[in-house]
Amino acid sequence: MATVTAPAPTRSVPAPGNRRRLGPPDRVGWLFILPNLVGVALFTFVPLVSVVVLAFTDWNLVSGLGGIEFIGADNFTNVLADPLFWGSVGRTVVYAGVSVPLTVLFGMALALALDRDVPGRGALRAVFFMPYIVSTVAIGMTWLMLMNPSAGLVNQVLGAFGLTDLPAWFASSYWALPALIVIAIWSGVGYAAVIYLSALQDAPTDLYEAAEMDGAGPWRRFRTITWPSLLPTTVFLMVTLFIGTSQGFGLVALLTAGGPGDATTVLSFYMYQTGFQFYRFGYAAAIGMVTFVGVLALTLAMWRAQRGKALND
Amino acid sequence: MTDATLTRVSDGTRRSNLTPRQRRSRRNRWLWGIPLWLLALAFLAPFAWMVSTSLKSNLDAFSIPMQWIPDPAQWDSYVEVLTGENSILPAFANSVIVAVARVLGEVLTATMAGYAFARLHFRGRDKVFLAYLATSIIPAQLLLVPRFIYFQQLSLYDTLWALILPGMFTVLGTFLMRQFFVAQPAAFAEAARIDGANEWQIFWRLYLPMATPVISALGILAFVWSWNDYETPLVLISSPEVYTLPLSLTGFADEQGALSPNLSMAASVVSIIPVLIVFLLLQKRFVQALTHTGIK
Amino acid sequence: MGGALGLGALGALTACGQGTSTSPATTLNVWGGVPPESGPGALVEAFEAAHPEYSVVYTRFINDDRGNLKLDTALQGGVDIDVYFTYSMESMALRAGSGLALDVTDRVESDPELEPFLDTEAPKAYWQDGRVSALATTREPNMVVANLDRLEAAGLDLPTEWTVEEFVDTARALTTATTYGSYQLPDVPRVGLGPNYWFTSDGTSNFTDPRFLEHYTRGRDLISDGVLFPWTEVLARQLEAYQQNAFIAEEFALWVTAPFSLRYLYDPTNYPHEFRAAAAPIPTSDTGSWNTGVFGNFVMINPRSTKHDLAWEFVRFWITEGSQFMAPGGKIPTLQNVDTDQMLDSLLGPDADDWFDTDSFRRVLFDDDPELFVDTNLTAFPEITLAVEQQRDVCWIGERSPQDAVASMDAQATAAIDRYGRDS
Repeated sequence: MATVTAPAPTRSVPAPGNRRRLGPPDRVGWLFILPNLVGVALFTFVPLVSVVVLAFTDWNLVSGLGGIEFIGADNFTNVLADPLFWGSVGRTVVYAGVSVPLTVLFGMALALALDRDVPGRGALRAVFFMPYIVSTVAIGMTWLMLMNPSAGLVNQVLGAFGLTDLPAWFASSYWALPALIVIAIWSGVGYAAVIYLSALQDAPTDLYEAAEMDGAGPWRRFRTITWPSLLPTTVFLMVTLFIGTSQGFGLVALLTAGGPGDATTVLSFYMYQTGFQFYRFGYAAAIGMVTFVGVLALTLAMWRAQRGKALND
Repeated sequence: MTDATLTRVSDGTRRSNLTPRQRRSRRNRWLWGIPLWLLALAFLAPFAWMVSTSLKSNLDAFSIPMQWIPDPAQWDSYVEVLTGENSILPAFANSVIVAVARVLGEVLTATMAGYAFARLHFRGRDKVFLAYLATSIIPAQLLLVPRFIYFQQLSLYDTLWALILPGMFTVLGTFLMRQFFVAQPAAFAEAARIDGANEWQIFWRLYLPMATPVISALGILAFVWSWNDYETPLVLISSPEVYTLPLSLTGFADEQGALSPNLSMAASVVSIIPVLIVFLLLQKRFVQALTHTGIK
Repeated sequence: MGGALGLGALGALTACGQGTSTSPATTLNVWGGVPPESGPGALVEAFEAAHPEYSVVYTRFINDDRGNLKLDTALQGGVDIDVYFTYSMESMALRAGSGLALDVTDRVESDPELEPFLDTEAPKAYWQDGRVSALATTREPNMVVANLDRLEAAGLDLPTEWTVEEFVDTARALTTATTYGSYQLPDVPRVGLGPNYWFTSDGTSNFTDPRFLEHYTRGRDLISDGVLFPWTEVLARQLEAYQQNAFIAEEFALWVTAPFSLRYLYDPTNYPHEFRAAAAPIPTSDTGSWNTGVFGNFVMINPRSTKHDLAWEFVRFWITEGSQFMAPGGKIPTLQNVDTDQMLDSLLGPDADDWFDTDSFRRVLFDDDPELFVDTNLTAFPEITLAVEQQRDVCWIGERSPQDAVASMDAQATAAIDRYGRDS
């Protein structure tokens, strides 16, 4: 696809100095990505290949490489017929589907607010980034106490507003997942805001001035200037947060261990259980591969959406 | 935006005669500032809890309702984690080495690759990039065991290199930089090419300076990723001499694996100080970069 | 089958052959979960003093999922480990079943002092097909720790033997407006069924045994009566890992626990409290009198070690003379080769009489000679453990009926056992 457009921009402006450039453009591009590509290939691609291979085996790690047994596509047929797998897919869709867009939205709002001249701006940025840097253990313990059904601050506040029949949060199959979503948003907003802030610094100031001259209100200025210039960042955040949320299991492991029952057994945690508690590495790899195909399809869809916006030149 | 920009200009002359416009923007500062600071309290809670727990006895750490002010406050935990049998200081040094090496490597390789994926045209570019994106979808946990076997063969097991090398070349960083460069106008490069600049000069002199804010952001994130990484060292490191901070925290767990809250929180408080310093240093770059936008 | 093929792409990673790093023949590498300062450090020093020509490197791992993963990858990846410990039966199933434990039957048989480990009636070792591959280093009897002050205030005597019904009556009598009678019930099905209680004699799921339904029903009823600690609070506060905090705070009066919990009860600085504690035995049921505790902390030798003799020497030392160094950390040795008074001193701390009814602990933990077990059928052990915990949780927080919960345990156990049956 790249070959179609590759040489076009440069050839369109033939200039005398043009010939002095080093070699064909292909080589320059590859040289630029080479350091990264070699590293990624060596330290990620190679181990990755063995994960793909593992997905076709029955292996429990402790039986060693000699204990690897090839079982064809059995793992895949079993995964697709596994009700626990589909249950965890559903929970992941809810978990990531709700928390990711909200994290991005709040992150953007926060970045716009923090880009203004507010008192103690530098400190504020650090504060909102804090949940991203403190240990997951501290986050887990704090929220466990805040969301204690009888004495936690959250329910006390809700009670102060006159609400009754308050949720039991982590001790309830119905409220545990919503509780996790709240915490995921809270801890990801700072990450999204930092990235948005860096992107905002690049916003085309002259366009704003021109727009204001034209009498455009704040909302129109946001919609026509800020939002389009932040679009690549938004795509980046949606994709990475979606992948991160569907992979991350630290909060789940700490706060609910997938429970009560299997109420918060999201895909990543199910895979963790299968691999590291049950030692069914082949099956865990197969879950990973099936997930991979699903997430890849979604990512490609988001990717296409962005390409459609013609931001790719 | 315009308000904000103007306010920044006005900062220097705040004490002198204010125009009505400047007065309005000063009021706006607080109009936005107060709700933001209130919201900030909610984000400070776990940090406050960490500090307060580190000063409590183990029993008080779990008292319900939460006890925010430790009574009595005891500093023993800090003495213990810094100078005790399981002192975190050696691990602290290892973590610094790993984080600095990873940040430098990641920022350099990701910026170059991200620029190429966004601004250069070469055969196979989009295919390679999609392959990149695809790898990041595979859950990192699945890579742990194969990586262990592999690093064992490369004789990197139980060395800091096992933590540094994979962290220097990341897909996520490349993706972030690509998304930044994609949003930059191609016109500069066109003009520079006409002037006879080579591709490296265009990258280094023209586009790289524009990228200061996003490079700072990547630097902060890369530092945090390295600093808090628990699972990689767990599987790839075995000798206490090469422990990094997250591993050394396990020294404060009892036989059942339950962490001693006051010690582990004291260690956590100490361990996030460098991250905060890095953040506060680098976040200034976001603002500095504003002066560059004027040049454009 | 397919083992050679299995090397496939993984084989490409290992093409350079097994990268086993070897330390000098006189250095022994030992991996255990007990912090060095709680005994192993002193034990290693004593071993080195007795054998100046050798040195021992003790590496501590955290005994949780990920810590065990670390040990398993290290064992599998050829890291230099000669002796290691296994604490959970989940790990035991995998390690012993995959040839990661040296067969030590002959060595045990040739050593008269280790004769108790050959007992197959009440095993103290992990037996598989008539061979021994792991030796239990400690006894972990369970007991009911009672808040003695509350017991006395209620006009009740400390039981020296009792039934589950009497336990429930006592818990009811101890229930007040601010205190629950007991944290939890003892594992009553285990009391009746003993080892391998999840399995029938022909290896199928045993959850249809009426004792399971009865147990979960009783637990749920007593929780809703306010006699047992509410399970929602247990989950919301993750109390399973920190039960001592609630006992210290007198939130409940009876506590089914094991000796390692006793250290909190004589630590007035970190765990201040006003009451004394006493021990009662695990209540018996009509169908059995198993103590729900185990022989545990299994020591094993890595078959890949090049120093089997030295490794055995160390294992033997740990079990015999070494016991005295582990005792201060509260480890009751399998061979009971540490004097009971010394053991009680270690378990109950320096001011034992201020905090405990010492005699009751002597009686319950030692004189009664509690009937401990070692599970030998470990089929699908991690899967069944998870199913049981999940169903117990939803049952006891009142979201699922005991009938449905136990039926679900049975279905999940059956499915997991079947899968293992197919595999092997």
